[in-house]
This record gives sequence, structure tokens and C-alpha cells, in this order.
Amino acid sequence: MYDLVLNTIDTITPARPWGIDIPNYFWFTGVSVAAFIISSFGNVFGMKSYKPIAGFSLLVAFVLLVAAPLNLIDDLKQPGRISNFFTHGWENFPTSPMKWGVLILVSYFFLLLFNVLIFYREYFVHAYHCTNNKFLKTIFKIASLWRIKLGEAQEQKNHKIGLILSVIGIFFALSVEGYTGYILGATHGVALWHTPLMPILFLASAMVGGTGLLVVILCIFQRFFADFKKIDYDMVDRLMKLLAWFIVIDLTIRFFWLTFAIPFNGEEKYALMRFFKANLTETILIEYILCLLIPMVIGFVSKLRKNLFISLFGAAICSIGVWDFRWNIVIGGQSIGRTTPGLLNYIPDFWGQDSIISALSNWGIFIALLCLVMAIFPWDKEMSKYYKQ
Amino acid sequence: MDSNNSRRSFLTTMSLGLVATGIGAGNAQAFTLKNPGRDKQDPRYIGQKGKRFGMVIDLRKCVGCQACTASCKCENNVPTGQYRTYVSEYEIGVFPNVRKAFLPQLCNHCENPSCVSVCPTGATFKREDGIVVVDDTVCWGCGYCINACPYDKRFFNKLTKVADKCTFCAHRVDKGLLPACVETCVGGARVFGDLNNPNSEISKLLNMFPTNVMKKDQGTNPRVFYIGLNDEISDIPVSEAILDDLAKKIDKTPLAQWSVAYEGGK
Repeated sequence: MYDLVLNTIDTITPARPWGIDIPNYFWFTGVSVAAFIISSFGNVFGMKSYKPIAGFSLLVAFVLLVAAPLNLIDDLKQPGRISNFFTHGWENFPTSPMKWGVLILVSYFFLLLFNVLIFYREYFVHAYHCTNNKFLKTIFKIASLWRIKLGEAQEQKNHKIGLILSVIGIFFALSVEGYTGYILGATHGVALWHTPLMPILFLASAMVGGTGLLVVILCIFQRFFADFKKIDYDMVDRLMKLLAWFIVIDLTIRFFWLTFAIPFNGEEKYALMRFFKANLTETILIEYILCLLIPMVIGFVSKLRKNLFISLFGAAICSIGVWDFRWNIVIGGQSIGRTTPGLLNYIPDFWGQDSIISALSNWGIFIALLCLVMAIFPWDKEMSKYYKQ
Repeated sequence: MDSNNSRRSFLTTMSLGLVATGIGAGNAQAFTLKNPGRDKQDPRYIGQKGKRFGMVIDLRKCVGCQACTASCKCENNVPTGQYRTYVSEYEIGVFPNVRKAFLPQLCNHCENPSCVSVCPTGATFKREDGIVVVDDTVCWGCGYCINACPYDKRFFNKLTKVADKCTFCAHRVDKGLLPACVETCVGGARVFGDLNNPNSEISKLLNMFPTNVMKKDQGTNPRVFYIGLNDEISDIPVSEAILDDLAKKIDKTPLAQWSVAYEGGK
């Protein structure tokens, strides 16, 4: 049947709704989740070696999560009707991953916010007591969640609440990444998406991208913006090794995904073969070799990862690779025809809604927010506490 | 005591704020598990109880004249360049052993529509008579239903900026008329009617002829049945180029964000 020669004389190009905003959104939420999980290594699991970056990566996770939904809003054709999401359509709650996903996203945002405030409460209480400025006092009081007492008992209470929030946070973080996988996996008409592996595929690749981004941001902030102005090479080394293991997990899941979908006969096989044939260079050379295998080698070879420049290159490239993976999944999945022939081609608009400029603007907002949050929160003071010991 | 009071005032402010927001949202449109129109039992949203509408397309009678395409656009004010229904035209085989095939396509008004179950606002839903419709006052334009449709039969309407698709001309059907495409079909290839009525023309046709549906394996149970449809064109067509798009390229007309990829195509 598939050897048949069929020429399309006349039909229409099918519509595809999701553009550049959506892979960008998936990337932002994914790396936020990864940053939060790395933060919890020190916060929840008590791994002392990760404690110095617990607060820092928590802030990175928070900022990424604030920036992420802006992509979604930009993608909506009727953003003014956003309240309809909350007021209508609850009968579809069990079957619409987007429905429960946004609720998880909102809950995760508040959890992260409170987590951050609890984590840095001690510093804000100190700042409250040190200033006489009424306005600043109010700000610090809000930031310390209206609890301006100091002392060991209070500190213990903070720690306990922080721990509980972090444990719940891990559940929500995994759910956030899981739901994005469900959104795609539930659309059975798209051969590239329809796999139950999609949630863990997204989670595994998010861990890769998030660790990579964290290495890059950490180096920049420690070198240029911290009081001590010194990069923690041991931490970079540790994160690069962790990154390499995350890549192994990611590749293993991708192996299962592709080896199950492509070799065995079925409609999906033909759709995926056509897709991968058309995108062979990009997927194999860029996504797998350049952005996964090379950083994995860097992470596993001690000599390479000791070199900061090489480590930074590896970290940056795999983070970009994870973005590319999300692009290939979202845009690639939609490029496969369902009842019309041919692969579709997507060229994002430069200006306007859901365009290159809007995606770049979102990155601009992320960077601006990161600077703002890092300026407000005493991440370096908290971090230097561990380096003094 | 102090901190308790301030905590209480914080909670009071927060709750008042949330209530105010709720009232604001409530004023716009009330909270509903379903959809405002369905809650109000608006007949346009409920449909005709006891009926189950469907369509049979007899491919032996379709001549590819596109009268259905044109009448649908006129009837439903479908924007330029967008279509709720159209007839794809194919050439099958290798010269000199070739033949032409026409495939009229439209929303399949599935028994288990993928688009409905994923809709996060309840804007798209199935009426009691089985017609799947979109409430263009509720849809927020997330496009999830467009991607969930295994048949590619949904699009963002350029004018309304919400998801759009064939409605079986529900506004006409509710007045006892036929859908515009059925009424205008020159070959009488499209037959519309109540599947629950054994004496309807559609039920008789379904009893008389073997029929097929698009992408049976998707499990959506389409209610658009084809007489004479075979796997050659119903599954994965292997042709690369769509000539409409090729013509746009040759004419140097700007292509939309999504177009057909020609690289490596025929």
C-alpha cells in the first residue's frame, strides 16, 4: 500500500496551531523543574556537597517558572479569555492534561514562591531589624511572611516548613514535567507524540537541560556578581558528572522510545521514518552527537571536565540541545501529515504574536527577572556561608 | 500576639482579594462545569434529542466539482484561504496506469471525539444529536483540539480567532434543512440524516452498502461514512507536494507559517 504512487493534485495545507512559543515554554518549565530538583539535593536529601547551590538553584527554578507561562499566554489566540480556563469546562478535567496541568503549574508556582521566601526568611528578618526606612521595613516584613522573630526555635521551624514545602515541591515539580509529556502523549493522532514514555522523556531531557543551564548561570554569577567573585570549580565538576549521568538516562529512554516506535510495523513506523529521514542531519548530528554525546564524554572524562571552558561549552551545548529536542518534538510532530500528504514546513514569523521576537522577548524577561531576583535575594551571602567553612 | 494579628490581617486581605477576583470573573461568565450555553439549555447547544446525525459520502458519485466547498464557505462565512470542507484530488498509479480519486473531507463528528475530551475550557463539545460544535464565545484559542484531531479538520478562524470546523450546518439542521454542502452536491454524493431512524436515507444506505471511515484505528468512531473509500488514500498518503502550495511558491505568494515542505519532495 505504501509503495503506491500517489500524487496530490489539489488539496489544502492543514492548519497547525503551535509555533515557537510552545517548545520555548516546554524548555522553561523543564529546566525550572531540573533546577528545583538539584536544589532539593541539598535541601531535602541532605547531600552536603550540593548545599552551597541549594538557594541559588531554587531562585533560578523560580524565575524560570515565572517566565514560562508568558510563552503560553503569547501562544493563545484569545489571551483576554484566560479566565475562561478557570471558570469553564471542568467536565473535561480527567481527560484534558492541559486542564489539570495548568492547576499543577499554578500550585507549583506558589510552592516555589513560599519555598524561596522560607529559605531566605532569616536574611529578610535581619534586614528588617537593620533598617529604619518604613517602606523597606514593610517590604522585608512581607518577604519574611509577617514573621519577624529571630532565634533558634524560629530557625528550626523555618527549616521544618522549608523541608515540608520542598518535599511537596518535588512531587509538583515531577508533575509539572509529567503533565507537559501527557499533553503531547495524549494526542494519539500525532505519531511522534503518542507514547506513554513522553512524560519521562521530557523529565529526563529536562534534567539534562536544567543541569547544563545551571552550570552556565552559576559560573557567570559566581564569577561576576558574588561577593567572593570566584567560581566553585568542584561544584562545576560535580554538576558536569551529574549531567553526564542524566544524559545516559535520557539516551536510554530515547532508545526505548525510538526502538519501539520505528522498527515494528504500524502506521506510526511510516510516519516516523518519513520524519526522521527528512530531519536526519538535524536530529542525529546536532541533537544526539553534538548536544548529547559530546557533553556526555566531557562529563565522564575527568580531564575534560576539569577544564572550565570545555565544561561550559558542554553545559551550554546540551542545554541548547534540549531546546532543540523540544523544538523537534513540538514542531516535528506537527509537521507530520495526518490525512493530507507531505511533511509540513514551519518558518516562524519574525514579528508579532508567536514569533521569533516574542520568544526572544520572553528570554529577555527571563534574564531581567533573573537579575532582579538575584539582586533582591542574598544568594551570595547564603552561598559564601558554605565556602567559609 | 502581634504577629498573629498581622497574619490574620494578611489572610483577610488575601481572601477579600480572591473573593473580589472571583466576583469579577463571575460577572463576566458564571463558573460552570460544562459550558454556559449548555447550562442554560439553549437549544442551539443541546441539539435535537433522540437523533444522531451522520453523513454518508458516496465516492462513486463525487466528481470533484468543489460545489460543496464553495457553498460551505458562503453559508458559514469561512474566511478566504480556510475551509471547513473541501475535496482533495489525487492521481493514483504510474502513467499510463493512472486514475483520479476524489476525497471530500470534513469534520467526522466522531462518537468519541478527541477534540472534545482535551478541551480545557469546554468550548468544544458534542450536542445530544452527536454534532460536535465550538462555542466561539468561550474558546480561548489554545489549539489543543486542533492538534488532538487525528483528521486535521480543525483550524483557527482568521476572523474569530478561535478554533473552527464543520458543524454539519447545525443552524440549518435545527430548522429542518440540510447542510449546505449536501444541498448543493451536484452528484448527490453527500447524504445526511438521522442514524437513529431506520427509515432515513442514510440508514438505508448504510444497510445497503459496505462503508468505511477515515483512520478507523484512532478509535474515535467517525460519523462520516464513505462508500468506495479504500486504504490507498485514507491512511498515509505518500505524495510530498500539495500543488496549491507549490503554485503559491511559484507565484512567490507569501506562504503561511506552516506550509508543505518541498525539500526532497516530488
